[in-house]
Amino acid sequence: MKTELLIVGAGAAGIAAALAAWEAGCRDILLVDRRERPGGILPQCLHEGFGLAAYGAELTGPAYADRITERLAQTGVRLALGTEVLAVRGDKTAVLSGRGGLSEWRFERLILASGCRERSIGSLPVAGTRPAGIFTAGQAQEMMNLRGQDVGREVLILGSGDLGLIMARQLVLAGKHVIAVIEQGPRCGGMARNYRRCIEPYQIPLRCRTTVSALHGERRLRGVTLRNLDSGAEELLPCDTLVTALGLIPERELVRGLGDPDWLSYVGNCHRVHDLADSAAAEAEAIGTRVGGELAV
Amino acid sequence: MREFDVVVIGGGLLGCFAARNLCRRKLHIALIEAREDVCTGVSRANTAIVYPGYDHKPGSLKAEMTVRANTRFAELCTELDVPFSRCGSLMLSCGERADAVLREKYRNGLSMAVPGLRLLSGEEARELEPSLAPGVRSALYAPTAGTVNPWELGIAASENAAANGADLFLNTRVLGVRKTAEGYRIETDREVFACRAVLNCAGLYADKVQETLFPSEVHIVPDGADYLILDRVTDNRPAHIIQYEPEDGGKGFNAVPTVEGSLLLGPSERAGEVDFAVSEQGLAFVRERAEFVLPGLDLGGTIRSFAAVRPNPRREDGSSIGSFVIEHPAPGFWSMIGIKTPGLTCADELGRFAAEQAAAFLNAGPDESFDPRRRGIRKARGMSWEQRAAVIRSDPDYGEVVCCCEDITKAEVLEAVRRGAVTLDGIKRRTGACMGRCQGSRCQQKLLALLARELGIPESAVTKDGAGSEVLGGRPHED
Ligand SMILES: Cc1cc2nc3c(=O)[nH]c(=O)nc-3n(C[C@H](O)[C@H](O)[C@H](O)COP(=O)(O)OP(=O)(O)OC[C@H]3O[C@@H](n4cnc5c(N)ncnc54)[C@H](O)[C@@H]3O)c2cc1C
Ligand SMILES: Cc1cc2nc3c(=O)[nH]c(=O)nc-3n(C[C@H](O)[C@H](O)[C@H](O)COP(=O)(O)OP(=O)(O)OC[C@H]3O[C@@H](n4cnc5c(N)ncnc54)[C@H](O)[C@@H]3O)c2cc1C
Repeated sequence: MKTELLIVGAGAAGIAAALAAWEAGCRDILLVDRRERPGGILPQCLHEGFGLAAYGAELTGPAYADRITERLAQTGVRLALGTEVLAVRGDKTAVLSGRGGLSEWRFERLILASGCRERSIGSLPVAGTRPAGIFTAGQAQEMMNLRGQDVGREVLILGSGDLGLIMARQLVLAGKHVIAVIEQGPRCGGMARNYRRCIEPYQIPLRCRTTVSALHGERRLRGVTLRNLDSGAEELLPCDTLVTALGLIPERELVRGLGDPDWLSYVGNCHRVHDLADSAAAEAEAIGTRVGGELAV
Repeated sequence: MREFDVVVIGGGLLGCFAARNLCRRKLHIALIEAREDVCTGVSRANTAIVYPGYDHKPGSLKAEMTVRANTRFAELCTELDVPFSRCGSLMLSCGERADAVLREKYRNGLSMAVPGLRLLSGEEARELEPSLAPGVRSALYAPTAGTVNPWELGIAASENAAANGADLFLNTRVLGVRKTAEGYRIETDREVFACRAVLNCAGLYADKVQETLFPSEVHIVPDGADYLILDRVTDNRPAHIIQYEPEDGGKGFNAVPTVEGSLLLGPSERAGEVDFAVSEQGLAFVRERAEFVLPGLDLGGTIRSFAAVRPNPRREDGSSIGSFVIEHPAPGFWSMIGIKTPGLTCADELGRFAAEQAAAFLNAGPDESFDPRRRGIRKARGMSWEQRAAVIRSDPDYGEVVCCCEDITKAEVLEAVRRGAVTLDGIKRRTGACMGRCQGSRCQQKLLALLARELGIPESAVTKDGAGSEVLGGRPHED
C-alpha cells in the first residue's frame, strides 16, 4: 500500500502536523497510533492548562484532544488507531500491525510524532527490594484517569517536574495522603505555575536535595529510605506507593539506525520534550506545513 | 491423602527438571511448590550462563556434568523450544596471576575435552571483541559457552513434566516429611501426600526440609549478589559473554548478552539475607567492574537492577563445599542442597541423575510414551513478516502489540495466562512483557486488566508476584 505522508503518533503533535500538511495541500496522509483513542497523552490529562495559545481558553487534555480530533475529521486524513508501527526501513517503507492484519506501506515522507517515554526507577542506583506499588507519574495518571485503577494510599512522589507536581495534586484530590515530593535538585523542577497550583494550596512538603536511596517491603512497598544529598543523613519513611517523575526520554527507537534521511522529520516530544501541548503542536504545525507543501507540488 | 510414587519438593529449575526426568519412567509423580508459580526462587535471578565446563576439577561430578550438559544443551533447548544463544565466552586477564588462572582453566578444559578452547593474546581478544579494555593482556576463549533464560527453561521443563503426566501442586508449602512403613508422608499447609520416594529440591530451604526428618550434613549459608541490566540498544554491546578474572583475586565479573537482547552485568558478592534486596555497594561494584572491563559501555542505558541469593553449602564446621551436594540420608530420599553455579547449566543432568536414582530404587521401567518435546508460546517478535501476517489472520490478537518495548502481542499474553501465569511477573516470565526499556510503565496497567479478566478476579486482587503484592489499592489492611 502507498501513502505520500506517513505520520507516526496521533498525539497533539502528530494531529497538528497532519492538519497543517492537509491545509498545505497534501491529500494523501496516513496518521497512525497504537492507542484506540486519538490525542496521545492528552486524554489522560484531566486537569486544565491546555490550548491557551491555540484556542485562547484553558482546556482539559480530553477537551483539547476533542477539538483537534474534530478538526481532523473535517479533513481527508486517514486515521489508523489501534495500530502499531512495527518498523520503518531505509527504503521508505513501514510495517504496521493491527487486529485487522499486517500491512506494508510505501511512503514519500515520514513525520515521527511518537512522543516520549518516562525514565523508570530501574535506571537509578536504588538499593533494596523490588516490590509492587511503584509507578511512573504518567502511568499513574493513565491508571487513575483512563482505567479507574487506584494506585495506593500513602504516596511519595519522587521528582518535582511538572508531571510529579500534577500527580501530587491529583492524588490529594483523590483522597490520598501525599507524604511529600522529593527532589534531588536545590529547587522545584517544574514550572512555577504548577508549583503554585498543585503544591502550595495543599501544603504538600517539597523536600529538595533529597533522594530515595532504598526501597523496602518484600511484596508491596512498605517504605523508602530518604537520603539528604548534602548531609548524607538517611531516614526511613513509611509509604505504600511511590510515584516517579524522573524525566522524559524522546521515543525514537523506530528510526534508530536509519541515520538522518531527508524524508524524515521529528515533531513534538520525540523531537524534544515540550512542557506544553501548545508548543508541541506549534512546532508540528510548522513542519507539517513545510512537508505538506513540498508534497503538494 | 494423595498417593504418589515420587514427590518432588520445590518447583525451581532442579525440581522442574527432576520431575521432567522422572516422567521418563512409569511413575506417578507430584511436584509441590510453595509459591503461586514455578521458578520464583534462586532460579529467577542468576547469571544465565551455560558454562563450557573448564572451571571445575577434572574428573569431578561438576566438571563431567557441565561438559555433558553443555554438549547436549542445544538439543535440550530444541526439545523444549527455548531460545539458546551459543555466543561463546572470553575470560579476561589483566595480569600475571590471572594469566596463570586462565592457563590452568585451559588445561582443565583440555583434559575434560571442552571443545574449541583457545588461549588468546590481548590483541587477539580485541579482534574478537573490539570494546575490551586496553589493559586486557590475555583471554581464554570458549566457543561452546552460551546463555539461556533460566526461568524460561524451568517453566518449559515444568510444562513438559505436566504434559507427561506429573501433577503440579502450587501454593502448597511442605511443612515436614515423616517416615512411614510404605515410604514417606509429606505434610503441607494444604493436604498430606504419601509417596515411596522423595526428591527434595527446595533450593534455599532444602536443608531445612531435610531436617524435618533427617539431620543434614550440609547447611545453606546464603549471601547476596547484585546485577544491572542495560537496554538492548547499548553501544559497544559485546557479542560474547565477557568474564573477568581480576588480578587481585577478588570477585570476578560477567557481561552477558542475553537471549532477550539486553546486557546483564554482575554479580557482586556480599553478605545477605534471603530477601533479594539490592545493595548500593554491590551496584557500585558492578558499575566499577563494567567501566573497567568494557570502558565503551554507556551505563546510562541501565534499565533495571536486581538482587540474587546464593545458597552456599557449608559443612557443620563452617567450611565451604565446592562440589554439587546430593544427600541421600535414607533409602528413597534424596536432597539437592546448595546447588549454585553451574546449576542452571546442569539442571537437566542433575534432574536426570536424581530421577535415575529414584527410578532404580523403585524398580520403575521406562515409560515409552514419554515425549521430551514441548512447544513454547509462539512469539510474534522474530517472525518473518509473512509468518506474522499469517498468524494475525488466524488470530487477530497477534495483531495487537501490548508491550511495545519488547514487541509482545496480546495473543502471547493470553496464552501465558492459559499456561498458568497468575501474576504480572508470571506473564513477564512467560512472555518477556515489561522487561524492556520502559520496564512496564506503558503496559503493566493493560496486563493487569487482561489478567483480571482472564482469571475472573477483580483488578484489585491482581498481584505482582503473589499474595501481599497487590498492585492496586496500596498496602493490604491486614498487613
Ligand atoms: C504524562 C504527561 C503529562 C503532561 N501534562 C501536561 C499538562 O498538564 N499541560 C501541558 O500543557 N502539557 C502537558 N504535557 C506536555 C504535552 O502534553 C506534551 O508535550 C504533548 O501533548 C506531547 O504531544 P506529542 O504528540 O508529542 O506526544 P504524545 O501525546 O505522547 O503522542 C505520541 C503518540 O505516538 C504514539 N506512538 C508512539 N510510537 C508509536 C508506534 N511505533 N506506533 C504507533 N503509535 C505510536 C503514542 O501511542 C502516542 O499516542 C504532558 C506530557 C506528558 C508526557
Ligand atoms: C547469583 C547466582 C548466579 C548463578 N549463575 C549461574 C549461571 O550463570 N549458570 C549456571 O549454570 N548456574 C548459575 N547459578 C545456579 C542456578 O541458578 C541454581 O543452581 C539453580 O537455580 C538452583 O535451582 P533450585 O531449583 O535449586 O532453586 P530454586 O529456584 O530456589 O527452587 C527452589 C524452590 O523450592 C521452593 N520451596 C522452598 N521451600 C519449600 C517448601 N517447604 N515447600 C514447597 N516448596 C518449597 C521454592 O519456593 C523454590 O521455588 C547461579 C546461582 C546464583 C545464586
